[in-house]
Amino acid sequence: MKQILLITDGCSNVGTSPVLAAAHAFQEGITVNVAGVVDYGTIGELGSLEIAEIAKAGGGVSRIVGTRQLAQTMQMMTRKTVVQTIQQAVNKELKHILGDATLEDLPPSQRSQVVQVVDEMTETTPLQVALLIDASASMKPKLGAVEDAIRDLMLSLQAREGMSELAVFHFPGRRSGEDAVMDSGWTKDAGALRSLFQRIQMRGATPTGPAIMKVIDFFRYGTLNGHDTWREHADEGEGMLGDYVV
Amino acid sequence: MTTSSNPAYPAGTVITGKWRKSRFIVRRVLGKGANGVVYLVQKEGSRDPYALKMGFDTLDLQSEINVLMSLQSKRKTSESPKGGPRMPYLLEVDDFKGPDGDIPFYVMRYIRGTSLHHFIRKRGHEWIGLTGLRLLEKLNGLHRFGFIFGDLKPENVMVSDVGRVELIDYGGVSSIGRSVKQFTEWYDRGYWNAGSRTSDEGYDLFAFAVLVIQMLNEEELKAAATRHLPQTRSAAQLLSIVQRSPKLKVYAEWLGRAIRGEFSGSREALKLWKETIYAPAFAGKLPGKTPRWLINAFALSLMVACLACLWAFLS
Repeated sequence: MKQILLITDGCSNVGTSPVLAAAHAFQEGITVNVAGVVDYGTIGELGSLEIAEIAKAGGGVSRIVGTRQLAQTMQMMTRKTVVQTIQQAVNKELKHILGDATLEDLPPSQRSQVVQVVDEMTETTPLQVALLIDASASMKPKLGAVEDAIRDLMLSLQAREGMSELAVFHFPGRRSGEDAVMDSGWTKDAGALRSLFQRIQMRGATPTGPAIMKVIDFFRYGTLNGHDTWREHADEGEGMLGDYVV
Repeated sequence: MTTSSNPAYPAGTVITGKWRKSRFIVRRVLGKGANGVVYLVQKEGSRDPYALKMGFDTLDLQSEINVLMSLQSKRKTSESPKGGPRMPYLLEVDDFKGPDGDIPFYVMRYIRGTSLHHFIRKRGHEWIGLTGLRLLEKLNGLHRFGFIFGDLKPENVMVSDVGRVELIDYGGVSSIGRSVKQFTEWYDRGYWNAGSRTSDEGYDLFAFAVLVIQMLNEEELKAAATRHLPQTRSAAQLLSIVQRSPKLKVYAEWLGRAIRGEFSGSREALKLWKETIYAPAFAGKLPGKTPRWLINAFALSLMVACLACLWAFLS
């Protein structure tokens, strides 16, 4: 089972619509959840609308929370989405067998057996969650809390019986044209998730849509530039040089 | 499916089951859990009060019901250990046709009482030993059936006015070996970076230890939880509270072992708890102990009596 969990605090402003990108993800069998993080004031009507739309198009759920509830919320959303995805699959099966019935239509005694199966699968299905963090300037004070929440999520995922992996990305990248940067590839180890964002340079742009597209690529090819690996090498050289100059 | 934003049903509402057609009359709201709202109800044609839980989500509630049914059947087939959940706990499972669709509910035994922290605040710290013992017996009962309680916190522990203890809200009950379904920050082993969130007996014992610390030194626990960054939070901070607080001294060994995860299981923890609260050192701490002024006064009166005798004898 594949999920993207987007953590953001506002509106996208560059490139592909994030709603379209989330719809693409859903098409690929990846559910998209969105956590909107606000500590002071509100996220704005436009921002909260976009967050809800992204989750809707991505078949997931969205929540707007303060940094204090972030860890709990991320975990709740991840679990809920796993359950939902399995429930949808089970409901489909039920429809095959029983016609128009869903879980809610079954009498409690039969429901009990179905839920047992759902619970079992929730615990054992292999799960991959790609966290996509908005690292635009306004998110800077929240990144510490985001990192803690990521570690907490890893702890909960580690407790599952099934295999669970996390990968972490942030956007935008250091230079224009780099839509998302990988901070950690697939890992099962909470120790790998320390000081993820220390070297991030904050920039103003928020290319949420393109970043989601990049992560879909990562799910497909296991790298951010799967379909044009030849360019990766050239880019790497440039990146190193860039670092050296700075 | 319904959401948590739905207002609670007012007193007098009649809840009719879709499948079994039983009718329950709402008396008042008892409380809100993570999975639903619990009402005090009366079954029509009966005077006995029951608790009725309406779920926010069919799947979550059914999952909780499955646990209760499993406990009930295990209870029937095995000689239950002392303190095992008293049954029948689950009375009926059904759906209610609400204005916005069906709402799943189940009816259970109503447990009269106050939540643990209120009880201790009202009746005094000297009740911690006994209520703690009974709570550990309950947890041990669950553990013997292959479950852990998971979301152990004072709100989920009901104490009757004579100190009987019952666990309420089985929404967090998880099979041993599985991930913990539901937990609350302070009482969560993972929150303190003190271990995994995989269900084992030690998970409940850790939460129990935090609960005891909370009842006897809430300020320091609160300070430790908020002062430290999440990645630096650790079992050592809890242990240092235990070392520093005079009130926690008698429980120090037990708490230390629970926090460090050193108990082999709840049986051993139960045994040490009993030894702790019935140890002479502890018994001396019970109120009922003769106050110092009384001892002094008694010594003085003895001396006066002696002097009086001596004086009488001499004269």
